[in-house]
Amino acid sequence: MIVAIVAVITFVLIHLAPGDPFSGVMDNPNVSEAVRQTLRAQYGFDRPLPEQFVKYVSALAHGELGWSFSHERPVREVLATALPNTLLLMAVALVGSFTLGILIALVQVARRGSATDHALSGISLLFISMPDFWLALLTLLAFAYWLPLFPVGGTIDPVMHEYKGFVGRIVDRLWHLALPALTLTALASAAVARYQRAALLDVLPADYIRTARLKGLSEREILRRHALRNALLPIITMIGLSFPALLTGTFFVEKIFSWQGMGYAVVNAIASRDYQLVMGGVIIGSIMVTLGSLLADLLYALADPRLRGQ
Amino acid sequence: MPWQTQDFAASSGPTRVRESPLGLAVRRILRKRSSRVAFFVLGVILLVGLLAPILAPYNPAAQPDIVFGKSLSPSFAHPFGTDPYSRDVLSRVIYGARLSLMIGVLATIVSLTFGVAYGAVAGYAGGALDAVMMRVLDAFLSIPRLLLLIGVLAAWPQLSVAALVLFLGLTGWFGLSRIVRGQVLALKHAEFVTAAQALGASRRRILWRHLLPNLVSPIVVAATLGVAHVIVLEAGLSYLGIGVQEPLASWGNIIRDGADQVATLWWMSLFPGLFMVLTVMTLNILAEALSEAHERR
Repeated sequence: MIVAIVAVITFVLIHLAPGDPFSGVMDNPNVSEAVRQTLRAQYGFDRPLPEQFVKYVSALAHGELGWSFSHERPVREVLATALPNTLLLMAVALVGSFTLGILIALVQVARRGSATDHALSGISLLFISMPDFWLALLTLLAFAYWLPLFPVGGTIDPVMHEYKGFVGRIVDRLWHLALPALTLTALASAAVARYQRAALLDVLPADYIRTARLKGLSEREILRRHALRNALLPIITMIGLSFPALLTGTFFVEKIFSWQGMGYAVVNAIASRDYQLVMGGVIIGSIMVTLGSLLADLLYALADPRLRGQ
Repeated sequence: MPWQTQDFAASSGPTRVRESPLGLAVRRILRKRSSRVAFFVLGVILLVGLLAPILAPYNPAAQPDIVFGKSLSPSFAHPFGTDPYSRDVLSRVIYGARLSLMIGVLATIVSLTFGVAYGAVAGYAGGALDAVMMRVLDAFLSIPRLLLLIGVLAAWPQLSVAALVLFLGLTGWFGLSRIVRGQVLALKHAEFVTAAQALGASRRRILWRHLLPNLVSPIVVAATLGVAHVIVLEAGLSYLGIGVQEPLASWGNIIRDGADQVATLWWMSLFPGLFMVLTVMTLNILAEALSEAHERR
């Protein structure tokens, strides 16, 4: 249903857009009218709209996303080679931000009302208010130029990678992954920390926490064994919710650190007017987000024994 | 103590002016120091935007000396430096405040109009219409807003600011309309609505005069967050080159102009970004304080 609506929206967009979907070729004055006609016929743009729509949808269903003019390859191939890099970046940022975010929230709740709590809240708020691309640029500036600890960009070292052994290649890749992953993690963990702090504070007045306290458990034990467990359910919801932000974050972060993922491909496609590739990225991104929230729903059912029976 | 009785008389007496829920909320949040600071900072930035033609030391689009005046680091003459076209970055940041804030507010007004109308109709109508409207909303909500905007704006390059505002507004009302629908649904069978119905009030009158005034607080919170969100989105799109077009200055496209040479032109990323973070942060603080004030009521 959702994919269907995305398909309709993209089809409408492609056809409302001025000129042909491949105006990059069409606007070239060296291309004669006859060639244009043949191109149009080849790609089926001379057919009536309903027929084009049926064709478009059936092509989508077969995983065909069109032709990328800037890469001179099918969009599907371009995105398929880029996707693993994006998924790696997102996975590292997801794990990193939830670990860091939950830890920050635990520290805050353990010392609720203290100066530490307020300071951490302020820092989270600061990071939440930062645009992804600005933090990425500052990180690049700080840790690749001013303090040249990490590479300026790219996925691997273009020269040395070939000469490295297996371990060396992995280290090289992680070295390049560090800054983009750090940027995304910093942004996402701020949101997780805020959310988790509220979730923990929601749980604390509950009866079983009071029971645990009356049993004589230390505050730390109570937080770790009782409050955190029950406040984990909202965190699973949060995974589903943070997926769109993480994905759109990769668009900027990948571009700035030249991390060769889907976002990098799509952002460069915007500049080179490769519209089919842009739309392909939009469609795949929407599908990823939908799958992400589906996954979160499944996890939720798995984690909550009350839902398991149903 | 005499002032206690006086206070009591003043607050319960017939002379007391009835205060709007919004005025009450504003007074309540201003008791917190953090929101007073946020209010002040936001006011200053707003003023900077409004008075841009007076405050900006140079014309933001002028390129006085493309050979020797370009890419200058911050100095007394150019506190924020100049860009690769020799334009004064401070003046561009000031005009950028004007444009970015304006886009944020106008797009949010568009979103509010759609979101409130859609949510109120769905919630008040109920039944099959509500179900269909909510499924459509789910579909829209599942596409990340930035991706939707990239899809739209990449198709129409070189859009005018008005069109940009429209698209930003049209992609921002989905969440709000869900909130409005929920509230309308919850209040629909409240006693004061039944009373109004019994008095023969029309559906439109009930919606406008009885239901919507009760939704002012959540709507104001959503609008405050909405402005912050639009400012970040517009900056992102302008950074990608599909938002505000040159020679107009917005915080996003100033950063874009310097992003390729961030190592040498650091001032072009740092200063507009600081303004943006400050604005968004104050808006977030105020939204949080507003929703707290609402919850305590």
